[in-house]
This record gives sequence, C-alpha cells and structure tokens, in this order.
Amino acid sequence: MGRTLPSITQAFLQEQQSFARFRRALRRSDQLVLDDLFAAAHQHLAAAAYAAHSLPFETFLLAMLMEEHKEVLRLRGLVEDLLDHQG
Amino acid sequence: MGQAFTGWLLDVYDDPQDGVVLWLLDKDGARRRLHQDFPVTFYAAGPASQLRALWRFLVEQPTQVELDRQERRDLFCQEPVTVLCVRVLQPALLPRLFQEAARRFPTLSFYDADLAFSLRYAAVYNTFPLAYCHITTDGQRLQNITVLDSPWDMDPPMPPLRVLSLELDSNPAHASPACLTIRTTLENPRPAYRLPLRPERPLLVNLAAILNRHDPDLLLTTWGDTWLLPHLLALSRRCQIPLPLNRDLTRGLAHRAARSYFSYGRVVHVGQQTLTFGRSHIDRYNAMLFHDYDLTGVLELARVSALSIQTVARTSPGTGISAMQILTALRQGILVPWHKQQAERPKTALDLLRADQGGMVYQPLVGLHANVAEIDFISMYPSIMAHFNISPETVGNHSPCTCLVPQLGICIDQARPGLVPQTLNPLLKKRVALKIRTADLPHWDPRRRLYKERASAHKWLLVTCFGYLGYKNARFGRIEAHEAVTAYGREALLQAKEAAEDLGGLVLHLYVDGLWVKLPGASTVSDYQPLLDEISNRTGLPIGLDGIYRWVAFLPSRVDGRVPVPNRYFGVFQDGSLKMRGIEARRGDTPPFIAQTQLAMLERMAQVPEVAQLPGCLPDLLGLLRGRLASLRRRRVPLPDLVVSQKLSRRLDEYRTPSPAARAAAQLESTGKSLQPGQRVRFLYALGDPGVYAWDLPIPPDPACLDLARYAELLLRAGATILQPLGVSEATLRDWLFNNAGYGSCPGVLPLNSSLTGLQL
Repeated sequence: MGRTLPSITQAFLQEQQSFARFRRALRRSDQLVLDDLFAAAHQHLAAAAYAAHSLPFETFLLAMLMEEHKEVLRLRGLVEDLLDHQG
Repeated sequence: MGQAFTGWLLDVYDDPQDGVVLWLLDKDGARRRLHQDFPVTFYAAGPASQLRALWRFLVEQPTQVELDRQERRDLFCQEPVTVLCVRVLQPALLPRLFQEAARRFPTLSFYDADLAFSLRYAAVYNTFPLAYCHITTDGQRLQNITVLDSPWDMDPPMPPLRVLSLELDSNPAHASPACLTIRTTLENPRPAYRLPLRPERPLLVNLAAILNRHDPDLLLTTWGDTWLLPHLLALSRRCQIPLPLNRDLTRGLAHRAARSYFSYGRVVHVGQQTLTFGRSHIDRYNAMLFHDYDLTGVLELARVSALSIQTVARTSPGTGISAMQILTALRQGILVPWHKQQAERPKTALDLLRADQGGMVYQPLVGLHANVAEIDFISMYPSIMAHFNISPETVGNHSPCTCLVPQLGICIDQARPGLVPQTLNPLLKKRVALKIRTADLPHWDPRRRLYKERASAHKWLLVTCFGYLGYKNARFGRIEAHEAVTAYGREALLQAKEAAEDLGGLVLHLYVDGLWVKLPGASTVSDYQPLLDEISNRTGLPIGLDGIYRWVAFLPSRVDGRVPVPNRYFGVFQDGSLKMRGIEARRGDTPPFIAQTQLAMLERMAQVPEVAQLPGCLPDLLGLLRGRLASLRRRRVPLPDLVVSQKLSRRLDEYRTPSPAARAAAQLESTGKSLQPGQRVRFLYALGDPGVYAWDLPIPPDPACLDLARYAELLLRAGATILQPLGVSEATLRDWLFNNAGYGSCPGVLPLNSSLTGLQL
C-alpha cells in the first residue's frame, strides 16, 4: 500500500516545514499569527486535494485568504449590528 | 452397482491415489467418502520455440499429461493468446510438475497454475462447501454430481453438521494448559467431557474414543493450530496410540508455517496452521475475523467463495474475493495469470496528480451539533465498480460504448460486463437482501444475529475487493481501475454535498462514503427522505440514512486545538444508541478501566433528551470521574482492568527506542516467551525501570508497583475528550480533578454561548 505522491496532508506539512526558518526569525507574537494562518489553511485540505494543483501552496494561500475574508465578513456583520443598535 | 442419493458436500481435495476425494453428508445422516477422476490443466504462453521445448520436457516426465495447442483469452490482451495446454491426469501431481516447468522455463507466462483445488472443481461442477447435491455413484466412485442449491440462496437447506469443540483451559503461550474441555454441541455451554492433559495415554485413548463416537464434521478448537493439534499428534506418535483427528485415515494432518505480514498499515500475525482431511478444523484464535462474523460468517464465506471451510477461516477476505474472481474467470474460459506482468500505463505528472488520490475526506466543523443526519452510500466502492462497469479489462479500453471517468478522463468500456462487476453483482444483491431481512425481523428473533454475521462476512469481501483492484500483485488488479473507483467516489460525494446544499442544508463533514448533514428544521427520517432521493437520483448509487443524531461532537486535534480531525467524533442517535470513532474507548490499546469510564460518561450523556440540557449533566460526569479516580488511587480497580494490550509492530531488535509494548515483550523474552510482529503483548504501567510489567510473566505483578499517576493521566485525558465539547478544557479538568478546584459557576446553569463551543442548535 504505497503512494507515489505525498498525500495533501504530507504536502501541507512539507510546505509548513519549508517556512521554519522564516517562522524562527519572526517575533513570538508574529509566530502565533503565522500558525493561525496555517491552521486556517488546514481546514481546506480536502478541497486542496481535489483541486490537484501542481503548486499546492497557491491553494493553501487561497484557503488562508478565504478564512481571513470570512473573519472580515463576520466582523463587518458585528459592526453593522452595533451601528444599527446605536443608531 | 449404481446408487443415487442427495446430501451436502463437506470437503473436496486432490489425492495422490484417488484423483479427487469428496466427503458427502447423506440426507440419511451417513458420511460418505467418494472418489473421482479429475484431470486438471495449466497453460503456458510465450515464444513458439520455448513452448516446443516445454512440450518436449513434459512428455519426458513420468507424470502422465495430455498436451494440446489452444487459443484462449487473457483478460489483459485484446487478442486471444496461443497457449500450450497441459492436462495433468492426476491432480495431486500438478504442483510439482508445474514448479519444475516454471523453474526450467522462467521466460514463459503461466496461467491457471497455482489455483486452490476446490476452485478448479467448483468451476467444473458448480460446487461449493455445504452445497446441497444430487449424487450418483458406482460403488466408491462418483459418477455424477449435480448441485441443487446456489450460494446466493437466502435460506439454503443447511446440513445437520456435527461440531466438536475442544477448548484448552489456558493460553499455551502464557501458561501450560492442564485440561481439555470438550463440548458436543455449540448451543449447550455445559461441557460433555473434561480430559486432563496428563497422564497422556488415558488422554489419547479417551479422545480417540470421543472422536470415533461423535465423528465430527467440524473441529472447533482454541489454540488448535498453534499448540493443541501438533501437541496431540506428537503424543500420539510417541505413545503409538492412533488419534483419528482426520476423518480420512489415509492422510496425515497438513501444516502451514506461521507468518507475519503488513496489511492496511498494520502488522498481522497468523500462527502455524494445522489442517485436517475429511472434516474441517477451525482454531478460534487463529481464524481471521472470527470475533466479527463467527462460524456462520465463515460458512457463508466458504459458500460464496468456493474455498474450503478451513481455508476460508484462516485467510483474509481478500483471498476470498480473489477466489471469487478466479472462479468467474475459470467459468468463462479466461486465463488466470500465475504472475501478473502488466505494468502501469504511462501518465503525465499532472494526470498522476489528479489520479493518485483516495476518497474525499473533509475537515469537519469542530463542536457540538444537534439533529444531524449521517448518510452513507451503501457499499460505495463495490457499487461504483458494479454501476460503472469498472474492471481491469474495461478501464482505458476504447469501444463504441464508453463512459469517461470524472476528473481523470479515462474511458471505461460499457459494451460487455467486466469480470469484477460480474463477480460483485450477486454479492451486492445478497448483502442488501440480508440487510432488508434483518431489518424486518423483530429484535428477539435469533435469525437476526445469523443474518448479521452473514452480512458482515459479505462486507469484508466487498471492502477488500476495492483494495485488490489496486494491488499490483492481484491477478485481476489494475491501478487505473482503482483510481477510477476513487474518482467516481469523490464525484459522488461532491454531488451529495451539492444536493444537500441545494436543499439549504449545512454539510458538517464528508468522509469517503458518508456525509453528516443538517437540514433546516429537519429532525425525522421523513424530513431527510427528499435529500436521500435527490442524492440517489444524481449519483445513481444506493444511499441509506445511517441515523439521525440527537447530537454529535466533532473533536479537534489533541496537538493543535484549531485543527479539526476527520475521524474523531462521538454522538448519540435519536434511539439513544452511541456512536464513537477515534476516541480512547474505541482504541484496542486502552485499558478496560479507562474505556469503561469513558463509556459510562457517554451513557450518562445519552440519557439527556435535549442537547441544550447537556451542561446539566456536567456535575454527574465530574462525580463519575472523581469516583473512578478515587477507586484507582485506593487500588480498588482490579488489575486485569488496567492491562494495556498493544501489538508489536516489528521485531524487538528493530526498535530504536523501545515502546512500552516492546519493553514488555523484552521482559517476556527473557523468560523464554518470544513474540512475533503482529502479536499482542499485554502489560501494566509500573513504577521504576523499565516502566512496564508484562502481564504474562510467570510471577504475578505486585499491585504496589502500579504507576498510578500514569493511569490517572490516562483517565484525565479520556475524560477531557468527552468534556471538551461542553467547553471544559483539559487544563480546567486537571484543576478540577487533581487540584480539587471548584466549578467556575453553579453546575447546570453554564451559559450556552460561552460553554458550548460551536454549538449548532
């Protein structure tokens, strides 16, 4: 039961590992932010696998952006609710 | 003088003197041994000069053969293949003759060379173990055999088998057995005889008398393969007292060596095998999946695969499905390759990237969710093979009638049914029919268990069929067919997701052949029926509702709480039954005490009718955990409940950092008990070096040496797994349990929005 190609999870971990030096040189507070981004990308591994992109990191970046945008939408909703409440 | 009777086929095997020997159970109760001439054939293909040389070699051999040139179909070739057909008149002589031919002519391709004898006979006479037959004989010689039932019958006439159960009083690997308990019926738990293993002569005399008196069709033993039968045989030789373990007294017992192998990410150990002639021998502890489908499942596997009962009991279901494919091939005159020689077709890197994927596995939405339906495709991969005609010879084959595999663009020939779908179709139909029958029976009906065991045996055949399709050494495997199945599987799952979302549903999780969905306002089976119909329409595959969860919790990774884990969840169905995956209670290496605690917590939670009331049972759950911890610390937990049982994954000298299991195995080895990879080692966590105490050491463990802190930690972790969806972190639980901290707020009134992480009501 061997696989010719690394699974998407293995590819993800390899990509994450390849940024180890970058992460090390960041401030501790920034390291945690970077970890958050990777955790966000992890949530879309199934879609990344299905996409079968030859450069998977592009898919991971898109997944990070998606999660960021979700957060923006959520916060925007909260702000609008607050403004409605005040107005 | 000619004679005719009806009865059941018990055993069939080749015999050096009698051609083929058949054991039949006459309807009048007699067990009859008949024999028959039965020539068997193997084929060779290759350059004409080599075939001529093989011809000359074969006619010079003492073994009587008939040679012929034929054109036959190789599944992997478009055109018929010219082969030398070697008909061996005495079947028992084929293996040796073939081995010699293969050794001398290594460049030739051989076919039908190493097939189980029962399959060869089944291919000609449609027989299978326990087939109900009409037989005509001429004295001891069988003239004709006609099978009157089919392996696909739901309720075939079953033979009144005589079963003799021989059970040892202890595992010979751990302690010397002293007594043999014998039962003559499986229904009656009371033993008919108890024989001390010493002195030896009375044991042999009595056992021989019992065997002669009961003349069993099936010997069901404990450790019979690995210890009991070899031991009895050695005693019988030493004391010169014959022991009729075989029904066929002209034959000795057959032995096969022990082996360990790697399968589906695990090391499996199969002990030495001891096989009988004229009756079947099954060792409960050396039989594959016996705990899962029991004797009923073994007999069902034998019937549908046509492998002998004792073979099928010991081999993996993969061998069973492979046998069924071979049988389909033999009956259709398709050559069965000895060593398959097809290589994978070349593909581009991008094609490989698309094709080399498994099933689709989502990252679930972590948290607690109410009123969730779990919907599964029924036998998804086999159904895909049957529905889309996926078989090694149909995949990648252009014909006027092809369909394209989604995502991969490979074509599949639909013009004629493939070998794999032909093999699978009756199996799929029978499994569904068994499931429907089981569902229609009341809970108390004893047939429910029997149907379930038979359906379980089918499930294993179907599961392994997919793996074998992609296994390069499988005779009818082809990686492109395997890839086509997973591609269709991903497509079907995505179509199901889209159907759910089109109906306004929230898809919480997708896992290869199942999806967890929440439709707005839906809480009953009928609410989910439109979704099931829609998925079935879109995919063309059978789909079923596994159940509706009152609530289900998907858990995050233990290492990183932000990352979901696909197969770690637990929940309670509407009928109150529990389902859990990937948590401690499901793991085989969790001590029973820890697993029982976790189960008790879940059962307490299952009593809560509404998900919103779950926080209310937190005090009970904590009380339970505290009680268990106190029992542990006061050493009131029986030692067997603290035993950890782990499999050895490699040989002891191959461990760089010995695991607790390896350290326990090393302790055993120092007392002369060696364990092989794939075997389980049982141990307790103990204080001091080496941190473990092997359970099966000759000196019983000292309870004072237990590493209680380690067990408390395991208990804490197991508890935290269950409490996490209620908003209690492991750190908080540690404070509550170990540091005697109080609750942050009054129990039962935890605010929903802060305490229930991600609760979707």
